[in-house]
Amino acid sequence: MEYKATIGIEIHCELKTKSGMFSGAPNEFGLEANAGTCAIDLAMPGTLPELNEEGVRKAIQACTAFHLTLDPLVRFDRKNYFYSDLAKGFQITQQFHPLGRDGYLMIDTPEGKKKVRINRIHMEEDTAKQFHMNDKTLMDFNRSGVPLIEIVSEPDMTTGQEAEAYVEALRQTLYYIGASDAKMEEGSMRCDVNISLAPAGADHLGTKNEIKNINSISNVGKAIDFEIARQKAIYEAGGTIEQETRRFDDKINETVLMRKKEGIVDYKYFPEPNIPPIRLSAEWIKDIQDNMPELPDEKRVRYAEEYGLSSHDIGILIANKEMAEFFEKTMTLSENAKGVCNWLLSDISGWLNKNGQAVDSSALTPEHLAAFIGLIDEGRISSKQAKELLDDLMTGKDPVQAAKDRGLEQVSDAGAIEAIVAQVLDANPQAIADFAAGKNKAVGFLVGQVMKASAGKANPAIVNGLIQEMLKKRIS
Amino acid sequence: MDKNQEKEYLLSLARSLMFDFPGEEADWIVKEFETIRKQLAVLDEVDTEGVEEATWPFEDETTYLRKDEVTDVLTQEEALMNAKEVLAGHIVIPRVVK
Amino acid sequence: MIKEIRENRETAAEVCRKAYADTQALQPKLNAVITFIDPEEQLANLPAEGLLRGVPVAVKDNCCTKGILTTAGSAILRDFVPPYDSTIVENLKKEGAVMICKTSMDELAMGGANTTAFTGPVHNPWDENRIPGGSSGGSVALVAAGVVPMAIGSDTGDSIRKPAAWCGVIGVKPTYGLISRYGCVPYASSLDTLGVITRSVEDACIALQAVAGRDSRDMTSADVEIPDYLASLNSDMHGKKLAVLGNVMDGLLNDNVRKVFNGIVEKLKERGAQVDVVYFDQKIMRAVLPAYYAIANAEASSNNADLDGMRFGVREPGETTEDIMMNTRTKNFNKMIRRRFTIGAFALDGENQEKIFRKAKKVRRLICEEINGCLEEYDAILAPTDGDIAPRFDDPGADPLSDYNLVTGGHLDLENFNGSPSMSVPMGFDQGCPLGISISAKPFDEITMFNVAKAVEEITGLKGLTAEVK
Repeated sequence: MEYKATIGIEIHCELKTKSGMFSGAPNEFGLEANAGTCAIDLAMPGTLPELNEEGVRKAIQACTAFHLTLDPLVRFDRKNYFYSDLAKGFQITQQFHPLGRDGYLMIDTPEGKKKVRINRIHMEEDTAKQFHMNDKTLMDFNRSGVPLIEIVSEPDMTTGQEAEAYVEALRQTLYYIGASDAKMEEGSMRCDVNISLAPAGADHLGTKNEIKNINSISNVGKAIDFEIARQKAIYEAGGTIEQETRRFDDKINETVLMRKKEGIVDYKYFPEPNIPPIRLSAEWIKDIQDNMPELPDEKRVRYAEEYGLSSHDIGILIANKEMAEFFEKTMTLSENAKGVCNWLLSDISGWLNKNGQAVDSSALTPEHLAAFIGLIDEGRISSKQAKELLDDLMTGKDPVQAAKDRGLEQVSDAGAIEAIVAQVLDANPQAIADFAAGKNKAVGFLVGQVMKASAGKANPAIVNGLIQEMLKKRIS
Repeated sequence: MDKNQEKEYLLSLARSLMFDFPGEEADWIVKEFETIRKQLAVLDEVDTEGVEEATWPFEDETTYLRKDEVTDVLTQEEALMNAKEVLAGHIVIPRVVK
Repeated sequence: MIKEIRENRETAAEVCRKAYADTQALQPKLNAVITFIDPEEQLANLPAEGLLRGVPVAVKDNCCTKGILTTAGSAILRDFVPPYDSTIVENLKKEGAVMICKTSMDELAMGGANTTAFTGPVHNPWDENRIPGGSSGGSVALVAAGVVPMAIGSDTGDSIRKPAAWCGVIGVKPTYGLISRYGCVPYASSLDTLGVITRSVEDACIALQAVAGRDSRDMTSADVEIPDYLASLNSDMHGKKLAVLGNVMDGLLNDNVRKVFNGIVEKLKERGAQVDVVYFDQKIMRAVLPAYYAIANAEASSNNADLDGMRFGVREPGETTEDIMMNTRTKNFNKMIRRRFTIGAFALDGENQEKIFRKAKKVRRLICEEINGCLEEYDAILAPTDGDIAPRFDDPGADPLSDYNLVTGGHLDLENFNGSPSMSVPMGFDQGCPLGISISAKPFDEITMFNVAKAVEEITGLKGLTAEVK
């Protein structure tokens, strides 16, 4: 029997701000435990929330990037529940009036482009971080109050692959617009999947299960594929699917039960009385929307039109924002987009990987890369010589100077080469005879001799031309 | 609703707020709610058809947003000075995930 | 009094030391204090100028004081030392006030008798067998006893005004948002208002000016200029239109209260005021207290969810984190406070959210329309602050569904709902205990409220009224 999965995804994403959503505590990963918190985020009595302008700006950027309709009257609500990581005993969120509604995102699927609708984006705040150790849990409140947006999709996806594409497209866009670091490994982007499975063509959806805390994009696909297979097996064995919350265990590549759902939890939502409605000015919103950073999709189109790169190369370049930015900077100094792109994606990426460096923090500069590509394009060094220069280039040396220092620069002066060719011809009468007899490989032999005589510096193309020319003269 | 149902219900409300009415207090709160329910029912005497809720005394919208600056950060010592059990800069509680 | 203390710079330290010593001497009788604050360090660091320079002040224990125990009257916070000052305390310090103590209050400001503080009940300075009223009972008792010229209180339903009336002092609940709530342990955020308690209208003017003002840390803080109330004070009643709340008068059971109140009204008329008896819709008036129960307790049940024994405050033992929270909150909240939280949870629970909580918020709008409508026509609204003198500790209380309880006893919630400034001024006595008159004005029109209060004070001659504690 065929089954159809219906998949919706909720993403929590930490916004890239200097301070908290409602407090002045630093929004910084990796500080010493509880050394980056404040009275507000520890929910000490009497403290009150003070909404961060930059948090709202970043959330507006996200809404804009995904085509949501903005509500310019910002309102917050309380979600009430007790848990050790929730300092106030409630979370300030936007249950009743989310900042943005009804957007979408285009994803690539094997069948082509597909639109995934986004139901809402709302602002809220993160909880404290807990570390579990033997019989204890250790609490670090530095993360408490970090600005978050929650992005809720419509259940528009049907496969693990589509879900992966959706999460990757979201991640890339959020990262490009600078709204978030969107690092699933560091927890700055977190993903919960809702999935239900029903026989293909059925007029009802299956029981909805939730998979929480998936920690990488590839695990999104794996978790869904596993869950589809698991539920299918239950159906086929004549069983029924129970409503459950599960998590993905990446050691065994399986989803495992966290808890059975017992009714609906009543969070007793009500409007946050400490934050009056805040009217965002139309000018401010317009200013944010008019000055949006270029989105990955827009970049894709531009790279094809402006630089004529292949969609494959564009995909790889854009997947790494820093690489794409480096490429663009280099292209302000170079004409050869393909050359710059090829070197960045092959030898330079290889070198960076091997040395554990990132392009934006390495010693390589766009100026040096442009000069380096220029040396090759002008025929002043060969591709082979260029590879010999790679270490110098990557350790911050000026490639022109480095080529000189290493004595790599090709001799392209026809007069100088002609003298060497004449010498070589004089010394190899047999080769001239072979050429006269129609043995063209004699030319190759002679080129080799000239290169040897010039210690490899002669431009091989010029050498080749000169030899042909001078041979013809000698046998005519 | 009979007394036992009411008691169970009120105790479930209390427990949702992480406290209890132990011993005789359980009967006491049931008794209290006889009056409380009657007092709250006085609200029903007011016709609120078509009336919007009011959350604040005034309904002026504001425009103020805080500038994104780091301020009022507590030192680790200040953050932990009221905590009952501390280990390596963390507040310690019994393990919450089994 | 404040002005004299401020201006006699060489005696300020002496005044503060005496206030500190007198307050300590009164403690066995009144039990008004939770924590004493030695004034010496503050006296050594007084600012050069300030509206309250060198003035001894008592501060309600729900205002956080950096490095000084702040309990809000609750056992759950009996060891809590805040690493921050509330804005009102910052303002007091800036203006040179010398805090001599943190005062007793009903636990988490949720009470009207001042009998639920973990440190035990506070006694009324006029009669030790009577309650002072709450929740600002400690602050009010100390001002009434004459040991400090001013104190800070908070008022969510009537918690400054009613005890002020019962202890014979001036209690001011200014406009919602006029004083920042930042750092004040909350009861109900949409109603909570900090205020001042004094023994003269002039002192109330100075005290309010000193602590009011915009604070960005409280997003509900009003962005208005604070005037010099004292300079604006004018007791001329010519051209003033005053409304007497008929619903409250009709519910009175104590004829002497009516007599004293009407006597003042007559004198106000003699001074040129037009005074009319006005009636609000009685159904709405009866719903004021129930709406207050629903809204205030719902907000309170959520506001106090931070008191869980995890990061600060008392932590009771328990096997699991949930056990710790349960034990901590069960053992350290008075059952009266747990009762109120339960009312809050009840109002927000499932279908009740619509039937009770949202219903109460709709009733709130109708209440606001009633009072705002009246204040469009009248400069101020008058009523007896309460229907009687302070009850004895063993008083069983009124019939909870009676007009006397709901309207005459509950009308002070009106100004918490619409945000109006409202104050109680001593108006006379019954059985040797003080009575108060409540005066309310349009939001942000504290000046008119103070002007009427000044006229009342001149009529009664009770400026500086002080109880002699036996």
